[in-house]
Amino acid sequence: MDLKNTEQASMERHAPNHSSSSSIPATENTVWADASPLLETVCKELRDGELIHGDNFNLYAAMSALEYASVDEAIEDGLAPVPISIDKTVDVQCIIDIVDHLLACEATWHKGHSLAQTVFSCAYLVRPERTLSHALLDSYCKVIRATCKAVTTIVSDARTHEEEDLFTMSYGLPLNVEGDEKCLSLLNAVEENISRQLRACKAPLSKRKLLEDIEPLQTNFDLEEGYCKALLCRLRFRKHFCHVLTCMRRPQGRGLELARKHIASCISELGSILNSAEFLMFNAYGTCEDGTEDRTTASGRQAFGFDANLNSRISAPTPPRSIKILSWKKAIKYFENLLHHLDIICSYQLDPSLDALLRFVAQFQKAQPDLVARVHLQLLLVQDGKLYGRYPILAVIIRAARLPEVIMRHDIVKNEYFVQLGQIVINMLKILCTNAAWQRRKLGKILQDWRAIYLQLELAFRKESGEGSSISNGENASAGILKHILIWVEEQTYWIAHRFLVLGFELELYSPSEYCMVYWYLSVVLIRLAEKKHLKMTVSDGSAKQKGKKRKDSPKDLAREARIPPAISFLQCQICLAEGLALLLAALRNELIVLQSPSPFNSEHERFLQHFELLQKACIPDLISYPSFKESTSYARISSVVMYNYFKDAQKIAKEVKSSFLNDPDRLAELRILEQVAEHNSVALNVISRVGALDPSLKVSFEFIHHPYFATVVVKRS
Amino acid sequence: MDEVQEREKKEEFDASEIEYVSYGGEHHLPLIMNLVDQELSEPYSIFTYRYFVYLWPQLSFLASAFHKGKCVGTVVCKMGDHRNSTFRGYIAMLVVIKSYRGRGIATELVTRSIQVMMESGCEEVCRVLVAVPFGLYLFKCSIIHTTISQRKYGFFQFHLSLVLYIIVLNELKCCPKKPIIREALALLIFLVTLEAEVTNKGALALYGRLGFIRAKRLFHYYLNGVDAFRLKLLFPQPELHPSLPMMADRDDAQEHDDC
Repeated sequence: MDLKNTEQASMERHAPNHSSSSSIPATENTVWADASPLLETVCKELRDGELIHGDNFNLYAAMSALEYASVDEAIEDGLAPVPISIDKTVDVQCIIDIVDHLLACEATWHKGHSLAQTVFSCAYLVRPERTLSHALLDSYCKVIRATCKAVTTIVSDARTHEEEDLFTMSYGLPLNVEGDEKCLSLLNAVEENISRQLRACKAPLSKRKLLEDIEPLQTNFDLEEGYCKALLCRLRFRKHFCHVLTCMRRPQGRGLELARKHIASCISELGSILNSAEFLMFNAYGTCEDGTEDRTTASGRQAFGFDANLNSRISAPTPPRSIKILSWKKAIKYFENLLHHLDIICSYQLDPSLDALLRFVAQFQKAQPDLVARVHLQLLLVQDGKLYGRYPILAVIIRAARLPEVIMRHDIVKNEYFVQLGQIVINMLKILCTNAAWQRRKLGKILQDWRAIYLQLELAFRKESGEGSSISNGENASAGILKHILIWVEEQTYWIAHRFLVLGFELELYSPSEYCMVYWYLSVVLIRLAEKKHLKMTVSDGSAKQKGKKRKDSPKDLAREARIPPAISFLQCQICLAEGLALLLAALRNELIVLQSPSPFNSEHERFLQHFELLQKACIPDLISYPSFKESTSYARISSVVMYNYFKDAQKIAKEVKSSFLNDPDRLAELRILEQVAEHNSVALNVISRVGALDPSLKVSFEFIHHPYFATVVVKRS
Repeated sequence: MDEVQEREKKEEFDASEIEYVSYGGEHHLPLIMNLVDQELSEPYSIFTYRYFVYLWPQLSFLASAFHKGKCVGTVVCKMGDHRNSTFRGYIAMLVVIKSYRGRGIATELVTRSIQVMMESGCEEVCRVLVAVPFGLYLFKCSIIHTTISQRKYGFFQFHLSLVLYIIVLNELKCCPKKPIIREALALLIFLVTLEAEVTNKGALALYGRLGFIRAKRLFHYYLNGVDAFRLKLLFPQPELHPSLPMMADRDDAQEHDDC
């Protein structure tokens, strides 16, 4: 077994040389002894499938000790000859296949497999010195290595936890090859050369004489144009992609505009790459028909020079397993998506308002962008502890709390808890850029931090306002600031709780039998969120008015004050939907005894505790528990749900408030969907009430066909 | 194709013909391994099974369902503590071959496992109650440390793991209201968790019926790139809720600190 051999070999390697000076000398209590005979005996006794284990040598350690035979010799044995063929046409064909397969490997890597088993399964990449004599292959390998390095750096800088460890694992891989930094100039030279070759082959016969000193790309004149074009778009894609990565990393988002241009070029080159497939396939098989969907190259041929086991030795401790490389078409789709997501990031206006930013991030995440796009967003948002590297986080908080900027100079904000508050806001921003699954878990956990900082601030507020009472009421600025901040912290906490709950729908964590309690909890959280938001607005409007020395109280002003701000109506619409769904579900259950499944080991109470444990721990909201849920839902009847008609209310609010969001396409679109769900559910509710919930032919289901978390009630009669 | 159809064909049998057998020794291992290899996406090595059987013989639980001498289903699980505060029973694997599915064999296997775990849980509670007079120290020492890395290492990626969460009412009733006992019991939490592929509708439905909730989604959990749900089953906690601080008898708490 490998295990035995390795053990023995490693013992031999490390066995101290008695005659010469050993690194660890024997002491009074220790003596060096030759353990080889003992090991040999043990090895003989070990049988296949047996495992050594001890206190310090568990299964994990045992598996880590396994080494697999290196296949480095495979490279020497002709896995990767340079040139690939003496026939220049074949050589070019093979290089295009390698380029295509590498793209598929790269996409597979981005999608969560190890670099070693994907991109670096290419023997040419692993042995940089072998390609030196081949300008085209060499420059391409260099640019791939440089890109991998850049992407790895970005991901490890962002520290996205769950995904990064596998993604950035590059130990033992040649990512820092000398000369790779020159990849772009080399690539440019090669590109320039091929464009000349393309021009030469397209030139009319009369002019061709002049261009005779240009050596063609390959030997078959009829194919020259096609191969030149196929190579050019591939090289240009790489070039622009490199530029995208560099531009996007420029501090304070200064390179975003330029990055957008390169993104557009990348997308256009991807189109050309896709178009070249017909030509390449025809020359490989004499047919343009799409043979297999799984092919990893445009031509459909297997690429030369790849071996998935190339790095199995360094991919320990994970035992090597075969992975499936994405198809070439899927890889192109992946890069198109990635570029599209990067473009969304680049076109963001770097709004200093936290509200707007949080909406942007939530909207961005709806498209479920992959790791590479998300880390770019994260690195843009938080740089040097500032928002976009531009705005001190405290200034962002003060603005979000609707306090005037001069507060920044007030002593109170130099307090330790303000520093902590800044830290948890940064934390939250980073978490919001992670994948939905990880994000939800982390959001649940940081709710405790928000609760803790709230309590701290509240204590400080009490202290300040206590001290302040002895002076004049109006002059206690510290207490005033703290009051604003407290309201904002609460609002933000409810926003996080709201996101935590709705992400559960996206992640499919709730089963239909739990929808009732989830919508109920969601409505409670939304109500508090709306309250706090409204309070923040009134308090800041009030204090602004005080400072403005009361401009005449015109009846118009009063009317405006009485009107509910659109942002609050937006939430109210959602509250109505959540309440309506919770009560409809409760009524259906109370009257029909559907969606209720007694389980042998526990009850709904335990499921409630588990689902909302993190919210309950952070007192979100206060005094809310399972009994309050039972109290509000156990008497629900279809008739009362019809009477209160929450869906009609939601529909009405959505209709009314739409005009306030004409400049905000995202929220306008959301409102339209909410209106649609409300209307649909209102009709469904009427059907249920008319037919009678007890009608056995009635089938009611809750589906997410319009909105990601407000279910559409679907009624069918069998 | 025919072979697949052959395998998918429903077997005709009576539920009473199924015999449930606890793990009987090495001769069962090849049967279990064959089943798992055949039906689960995740590759496991023989070490994984031995990890369960040999490292925690008293806490491992393997059972199989036999029909006319043929092994048609199996469950592999174990119990241990989690972060020193929760007792967890892990169900590592649950398999029933296709042609025998939909007849309650899996449910029966899981239900039996959970019951065994509950019984061991009760024993654990009793053991703690005995240990209590000697202080919390003993209790903590008695916990077997089982830290397992749950990600990245294929052989540790349990298909499902059970965490039992129970506090036994009878034991509670017979013990005095001493805070130390409450504290010890609060530490002794039994939870049931397990992981299942998000695409495994059958398994999700089965566990849903047993009262499991989908507590988390684990991104790219399996080697095939599929996400997992971590499902959890919480047992009723009569009277005592561990998240409630034991503030009621503050004086008693101080008394306990002295001893």
